[in-house]
Amino acid sequence: MNTRFSRRSLIKSAGAAAVMSALPMRFSWANNHPTKVGVILPTSGVLAFPGQASRRGVEFAGMINKERNGPAMELIYADTESKAENGRVAAEKLIREGCSVLIGCWDTGATISAAQACEAAKVPLVINIASAPQITEQGFTQIFRNFTPATQLVSNAVQRIRELAAKTDDPPKTATVLYVNDTFGQSALKAMQAEWAKQNLPIEILDTIGYDVRAKDLSVEVAKAKATGAELLLPITRVNDAIMIVREMVKQEYNPKAIIGPGSPGPYEKAFTDALGKYGDDYMVCVPWLNVKNPRAVELAKRFEAMDSKNRFELNVGFSYEAVDIVADALRRAKSNDAAAIHAALKTTDIKDHVMWGGPIQFNEKGQNPNIGVALLQNQNSEPTVVGPAEAAVAEVVYPMRPFNER
Amino acid sequence: MNNATTRMWGGLAIAFFAIMAFLPVVTSDSIVAVLTLIMMFAFFGQAWNLMMGYVGQLSLGHGLYIGLGAYACAVSVGTFGLSPWLGILIGAAISAVVGAFVAWLGFRFAVKGIYFTLLTIAVAEMGRLSFENWSFVGGNAGYFLRVAQDTHPLLSLRGGTTFYYFCFLVLSILGFWGTALLIRSRLGYFWRAIREDEDAARAIGVRALRLKILAVMISAAMTSVGGSFYALLSGSLFPDTMMGMRFSIEIIIAPIIGGMGTLFGPIIGAFFVIPINEISNHAAQSMGIFGLNTLIYGVLILMVIVFLPDGIWPPVAKRIERWMKGGASS
Repeated sequence: MNTRFSRRSLIKSAGAAAVMSALPMRFSWANNHPTKVGVILPTSGVLAFPGQASRRGVEFAGMINKERNGPAMELIYADTESKAENGRVAAEKLIREGCSVLIGCWDTGATISAAQACEAAKVPLVINIASAPQITEQGFTQIFRNFTPATQLVSNAVQRIRELAAKTDDPPKTATVLYVNDTFGQSALKAMQAEWAKQNLPIEILDTIGYDVRAKDLSVEVAKAKATGAELLLPITRVNDAIMIVREMVKQEYNPKAIIGPGSPGPYEKAFTDALGKYGDDYMVCVPWLNVKNPRAVELAKRFEAMDSKNRFELNVGFSYEAVDIVADALRRAKSNDAAAIHAALKTTDIKDHVMWGGPIQFNEKGQNPNIGVALLQNQNSEPTVVGPAEAAVAEVVYPMRPFNER
Repeated sequence: MNNATTRMWGGLAIAFFAIMAFLPVVTSDSIVAVLTLIMMFAFFGQAWNLMMGYVGQLSLGHGLYIGLGAYACAVSVGTFGLSPWLGILIGAAISAVVGAFVAWLGFRFAVKGIYFTLLTIAVAEMGRLSFENWSFVGGNAGYFLRVAQDTHPLLSLRGGTTFYYFCFLVLSILGFWGTALLIRSRLGYFWRAIREDEDAARAIGVRALRLKILAVMISAAMTSVGGSFYALLSGSLFPDTMMGMRFSIEIIIAPIIGGMGTLFGPIIGAFFVIPINEISNHAAQSMGIFGLNTLIYGVLILMVIVFLPDGIWPPVAKRIERWMKGGASS
């Protein structure tokens, strides 16, 4: 056997070796090459408060993903300035910058606007928050919504109120609604009234009292609500007016059996508990919330709050965190930066261990996660605490609420 | 303006729009998306400018006509299955009638100046509130257009970014050309006479009431057409978004910054306002400073208002004219 290397065979071998050694390098480059993930949120304008909270959730999730050696992601942000028409512009911009999956957009108008750009470019959009039921009814094929549609949220909220009433020996028989008289407040009121009738709740709504979104004083409205003598107050608010309502109730010594927000923001936010202290306690609200029975989720929330003492791991943060988790999971399974492969992976999402309360994260044929739960929260010791339903609760509900002057 | 000057500006306009038509070929979709916004606000600005710049009637309620056009087109397509072209015409007709009513209400009873402006705001807010409580158009919950199962873009008026860019570009060209024709006609001279001194114009026989109503009708119909295309572009309609004060204010910034009472003003203004907004937004995102975009945007707008009180276009136009004449004489 001739064992001598000819010059030609040496060059051949060297060439083959070079090709062979280059191949793994190319694959490892592909694995280390971060996937560009676009994040569209309203971080300025009228929706800046929840938009910025959502961004904090995304940033936190990005950090945790890195720590866990998750798929390499480069998060690129775009601001809609709370304008619907900017959703499309932001999506186009992020897609041009090479994003193969987008997250966003907090509000319905911007989400639909962005979804159209995603539809045309065949780039998936993971919706962190946007509640209009119609989003998943328009025929979009690229959207994946991990948030409760408004109708489902209100339906679950009314169910929580029913459960609470059934649990007590002295259920409330009458209720009054205080609602912020703007687009959000009116929509929530209509949905709640429809659901109230549908579920045939044995609690009579005595009055619905609206107030201006820019109101600086709610003494008249609270006095009206007090005059109805209703045992249950149902405020549909944002955080500032929720604070104003409670302050006015303390002043007027108005002590119904319970205050329950049927699926509206406000009482779970840090601004509320910080501003009201003990007077903010016992206030309840029905919203999707952190899975407090999942130690990992609780640990993450604690860590977030330790890093950012001014903010709470509330639903804007939580669902935005989950959106990044969903993308990371899809990337892990797709093993590719290609938008079509990520889309295919998102369709088969099945995440059992996640931070928000509810069943596994899965998407139906319309791109909706149908397994999101709605918890009954009650502020206890200035902390939103899950008190219902039974399978999610970590504390007993305080009912009837303690009179303000006895706290 | 003599014929040579008119020809010169006409030539410049043709060259400008030709360049604009060519831009999508050499730019990406994201740039085209921004250009679409520029053309959209330019067209809205042209419509508003017709009423304010040439007739001197300040309206802060043009959001109403955007909303009427948007809802008329969306409901025609989404609820009745009609052609969007028909929806656009219906919207324009409704807006013209509403505009005529508002104008008649104001001018017939001598509601002038700031009081007329307040009237336009009041009517726009009434419109918004009516739509918010009108379940047929979705009320507060919004009205949504389904994703187009495309037949032909020119029939369905549904398409991608480039398609809508050309829609608004064509609207801007038509707006420019239509405004140029109007202001060079007898009607245009009457309007400007009313703007400069209404009493004097009346004294020489100008039928001010009728002509002012006509100006509002044309302006409202134009705005409505833009609103219809905006509805098709955005896919979701909310009374607050479509008819709210935000839109009414936003559409007047471009013509004010660009130069009111000029043909190029609304376009130049839109070319300044929208990119500045985009650039400041990008800067704010890069630095992670929320709201910095609003600050940068506000400061730049303020600087233009302080240093160029007549808008960007008039001094630029003077320089171009001087340069062209200098070039011609040399």
